[in-house]
Amino acid sequence: MAFRKIDIDALEEDAFGEEEIDFQEIGELRPVSDVESEVNTRAQEVRSLLQRGNFSEALTAALQNPPYGAPYHAAKARNTQTVMDAAYQVKVTDMTQVAKSLSPEEQDVLMKYLYAGMAAPEHYSSGHLLYWHEKLTEVAGQGCIVRVITDRRTV
Amino acid sequence: MSNTLRPYLNAVRQTLTAAMCLENFSSQVAERHNKPEVEVGTSKEVLLNPVVISRNDKERVLIETSVNSLRVSIAIKQADEIERILAHKFTRFLTQRAESFVILRRKPIEGYDISFLITNAHTEQMYKHKLVDFIIQFMEEVDKEISEMKLSLNARARIVSESYLSQFN
Repeated sequence: MAFRKIDIDALEEDAFGEEEIDFQEIGELRPVSDVESEVNTRAQEVRSLLQRGNFSEALTAALQNPPYGAPYHAAKARNTQTVMDAAYQVKVTDMTQVAKSLSPEEQDVLMKYLYAGMAAPEHYSSGHLLYWHEKLTEVAGQGCIVRVITDRRTV
Repeated sequence: MSNTLRPYLNAVRQTLTAAMCLENFSSQVAERHNKPEVEVGTSKEVLLNPVVISRNDKERVLIETSVNSLRVSIAIKQADEIERILAHKFTRFLTQRAESFVILRRKPIEGYDISFLITNAHTEQMYKHKLVDFIIQFMEEVDKEISEMKLSLNARARIVSESYLSQFN
């Protein structure tokens, strides 16, 4: 593109922009405070389930309705923390069982969060997540990974 | 920490296999050009989400996919100064001979030590599972290679200093 200084395609009306990446398929835009309060409520719910030792249910609860889209930075980080908290509690030997109990959509969301967790090794230790990745791929197959790398709704 | 090596390599293998679905795709920007979209980055709609697989904060793999190309960048474990020098020398040796490795990228992505660029031409010429195997094998070997070099370097240094200091007693 060295020969052309202005990207004229970006000026076109139906150009594919950043906003489109984030809001495709998400539907209407919700206020940031709404999303954050929802995420915080879920975090508390998951924590109480974890305290009762109900790891599988806690993980399922954590994977419901994740926040997508650029404006919800804080909510995304909070939700990643929630999912990771739940995922860390599941023992390696129970992972297959728990992964099987999730619906295909929940499996995809979990896979997204596993990659999100592995992308930040300074916050989340990767060892447990790698085991999760292995077991989840065994259950959900490679299609699950393909759906994570092609889905524009990133977590 | 070696108990996380197997799931780590396994995760990389599965992700690479899943991501390596490449097809011929000519540039949407310049006519009669055909370039790896992950490198030029001019059309965002053909780029997929990049994923990182990490073993710890030193060792990680970045996999960036697009419609016709795939970029794998590897950060090699470097625990101390010697390992850092050895890894640098080793990757430099390889990248200078990038033609012989076909998929090796001449310059690594920032923050990583070595990068591979796989295009649809490569997946058409070569078996996909062999390409994945090559990268996995590379990751296995490179750690081994560097720790071996480090051992022989230390052993050699010890011998040199011993024979040097023996003159004084």
